[in-house]
Formats: sequence, structure tokens, C-alpha cells
Amino acid sequence: MARLLDIGLERITNLILDMGHLSEDLVNSALESYEKGTMMRAQIFEGSEKLRFLQIEVTDFATELIARYQPVSKDLRFIQSSMDAAYGFSIFGRYAYDIAEVMETIGPLADCDKSEVSLMAKTAKDMISLSVKSLEKLDKNASQKLYMMDDSVDSIFRKYLKKVLTQTKKRNFQPRCYVSALLILRYLERISDHACYIGDSVHYVVTGDASPRR
Amino acid sequence: MAIEESLERKEALVESVKYKVSIENVDGWYGTKRAIKDINLKVREKTVTAFIGPSGCGKTTLIRCLNRMHEMTPGARVDGRIIVDGINIYDKSIDAVIIRRRIGMVFQKPNPFPTMSIFENVAAGLRLNGINNKTIIREIVEESLKNAALWDEVKNELHIPGMSLSGGQQQRLCIARALAMQPEVLLMDEPTSSLDPIGASKIEELVRTLKDSVTIIIVTHNMQQAARVSDFTAFMYLGDMIEYGATNQIFMKPEKELTERYVSGKFV
Ligand SMILES: Nc1ncnc2c1ncn2[C@@H]1O[C@H](COP(=O)(O)OP(=O)(O)OP(=O)(O)O)[C@@H](O)[C@H]1O
Ligand SMILES: [Mg+2]
Repeated sequence: MARLLDIGLERITNLILDMGHLSEDLVNSALESYEKGTMMRAQIFEGSEKLRFLQIEVTDFATELIARYQPVSKDLRFIQSSMDAAYGFSIFGRYAYDIAEVMETIGPLADCDKSEVSLMAKTAKDMISLSVKSLEKLDKNASQKLYMMDDSVDSIFRKYLKKVLTQTKKRNFQPRCYVSALLILRYLERISDHACYIGDSVHYVVTGDASPRR
Repeated sequence: MAIEESLERKEALVESVKYKVSIENVDGWYGTKRAIKDINLKVREKTVTAFIGPSGCGKTTLIRCLNRMHEMTPGARVDGRIIVDGINIYDKSIDAVIIRRRIGMVFQKPNPFPTMSIFENVAAGLRLNGINNKTIIREIVEESLKNAALWDEVKNELHIPGMSLSGGQQQRLCIARALAMQPEVLLMDEPTSSLDPIGASKIEELVRTLKDSVTIIIVTHNMQQAARVSDFTAFMYLGDMIEYGATNQIFMKPEKELTERYVSGKFV
């Protein structure tokens, strides 16, 4: 016989997985719009708002489950982590919107070199999808992989920052391309951190322990 | 430096831990039935320890071993040692009656002495122990009723029968009766299971307060109650002690699969 709590846990699982997939789509669209120069701010804003409401729904529902069933052990850890993950996914949506907004504020970027952003985008997208999968499969090992990916994201960001600082000293420095890329790299770097936090949460659900840090 | 200091303090704390009750290799028998098996557990002084586990796992048997009540059941016997303050209460030289006085017990169903007044219920044990000074008796009765959080409700009607109180009040009367003997250990076997939520939460608050002066062991079927009132929790199953640890650990991160399943309500 299934516990009543299980029905609630299933619903909360579906909610956060929906959030995960939606946030993944939004970040992908935002990056595509940067690479191809298509304007998608309105759609991405809509999606990011949806994520925000879903996050509130997860928190409300999680609180209700805790109050009603007073779950313990793995059940309680799962509910706590669902709230963390829901927060992480809504943050992805928020950064997707920030990325989409870069072009609106800075203008067309067709002539810019986008190779660094593309490089980091690939890893960041992989990290988002790994964080969603880790939740789906309750894979405690994902967190270590995410940390490793986060290291490479951080190093791309630091390198690019240095590059920009050297470029600014040049006489014919054109800030448009560098500033836009730097902003987007920053958002992606934040996204990777939050993907790591989701991995940590999953590790905590499964083992009851904090994930060992790098 | 700071780290060293905190380590030292930690060690000092560990050393100062005092075990009030040590249960060592205890078996509890009913005739040829071995109801609890090789139980080992140390209870810290002035803490609340909860015994949890499914019906029939041996919680009552174990708790009744702790004040030598188990042996009052015909055919029942105890093997192993139970050390209270360094003394094995099963030593041949020890008088079981004295043990029962030092280690009080509160039962699932409130059981005030039926013919006695509120006052007499609390005073009876004192009189049985040869205390006859009326002033002293009055003082202890008042203090015990206050410590049991019942005084304010009954102070103007101490001479009505104990049985005329509500269930929750009767249970607090039984706690007052146990406290009057100034026990060092208080055993409580499902003390709130026959009470309404308000009566139950009064007892829970009381348990939290009493542990400043008494070591408390409480059997409960209510997992959330164990989580709320106890510092340590022991999980029993089919007469075995499966897991024993800090309550927070047992409820957040039990080590044993069986414990996990029980506390999460996944038992069939
Ligand atoms: N007087 C008795 N004579 C024979 N067997 C007994 C007696 N009392 C208890 N038992 C048996 O000993 C085992 C442990 O019983 P005990 O009463 O200690 O369980 P419990 O954990 O307190 O259960 P509950 O939660 O239902 O109160 C059970 O199998 C029970 O049937
Ligand atoms: Mg019992």
C-alpha cells in the first residue's frame, strides 16, 4: 500500500523536473538568440516568469507536505532539496532572461567574435542538463562531475576577463563585443554554480551528507 | 589556536558525559520466550531517551527491566547487567523495592490510586517510606504538583478524588506521584497515548522541563513526539536494538535500512 506522502512526493518530483526542462530550454534559446542575433526577449521573459511561479508552487506544496505528514529522513531531505532545486531552476530562467537582454541593451552583435561564449555555453548547457538528470535519477555522483565542469567554466571566465583588461588598454578598443561577451560569460558562470548546488542537493538526498568539496 | 581551543573544549565535554544507566547484554524472558535480546545501551544523565519500534518489539519489556518491574510478571526473568550510577541493580544484595523508588515509572493509562484524593495520591509513597511529618509532606506534594504542571489547576481542590480529574490531569497526577519520590530516573511508557493533543503537548513540555533534574526514558509510538522531546532515540525491532543515536541523526539520517523504513512509515 502506497503512503499518502508518496503521492505528494511524486507530484513535487514532476513539478521540479518540469521546471528543470523548461529552464534548460530557456537558457538554450537565450544562447541561440545571442549566437544568431534573433530577438527572443519576450518569450524568454514569459518562460522565466513561469519558472518563478512554479518555484512558488513547489515551496507552497513542500511546506504543505511537511506540515501534513511530518516526513523524516530521506523523505524530508528530498523535500528540502526540491525547494533548493526549484530555486536553482528559477535562477536559470532569470539568467536566461539576462542573457537575452544583453542584445537589447547593447545592440546588434553580428560582427563580434563569439567563440569563448560558445565554448562556455556548451559546458554550461551540459551542466544544466546533468543537474536535471541527477535529480531525475537521484544520482549522487553527478555532483563531482558538475564540480569538474564548473572548474573549466571558471577558468574560461578568468581568462576572458584578463583578455578584456588587456584589450581596454589598446587605443582602438571597441567595448561593445567585449562587454556583451563578458556579461554573458558571467551569467553562464553563475548558472554553473547553481547547477553545482543542485548536484549537492541530490547528493544530500541520497547520502544525508554534504557533498565533498573540490 | 582557536581550533585547538575548541578541540580541547570538545574533549572536555566528551569526558564530562556521565552515563546514568548502562544496559549491558540484557535479555528479557517470559518463561521460555526471549522477548528482548542482548540489549546494550548507555543512557546519559539528564537527557531524554526515546525507545521506538513496532508493537511487540520489546519496548515495554526493556523499560520494565530498568526498574526491576519485569520480574514481577510470573515466569519472567532478566539476564545481563543494568548499571545505575555504577551499581548493578540486579546484584543479589540490591533490594528491588529501593530500585523502584529511585527509578519512577509512568504508565500508558493514567492509574491514580482510585480511592485517594489528589493530595493523598502524591503523598502515599512518602508515607509508605516512613515520612510522617505533615509540613514536609505538604511541601513535597505542592512541589511535585508544581513540577508536574498540575498545581495551578488543582490547588483549591486537593481533597477531591484523583479519579475525578480529566485523563490528561490524571496523567500529570501520576507524574507528580512519581516525582514526589524524587527519582533520579523516570521511565514513561507511552505516557500520552490516551490523551488528547492538548494534554499530550502538556506532557511533552513537562518532559522537556523535567530533564534538567531527571534522566528520562520514554517509550512512544508517536515518531514526531520522539523527535520533539528526546535527545537520543533507540529503535527496536523483534526484540533487538537495531540502532541507537542522537535523535536528529535517527530521524534525518538513520544508518540502518530497517530504521529508515520504520521512521519513514514504510513498514508493512
Ligand atoms: N506477560 C507476558 N507474557 C508472555 N509474553 C509477553 C508478555 N508481555 C509481553 N510479551 C511478549 O513479549 C514481546 C515484547 O512485548 P512488549 O510488551 O515489550 O512490546 P512493546 O514493544 O512494548 O509493544 P507495544 O508497542 O505494543 O506496547 C511480545 O512478543 C509480547 O507478546
Ligand atoms: Mg508496550
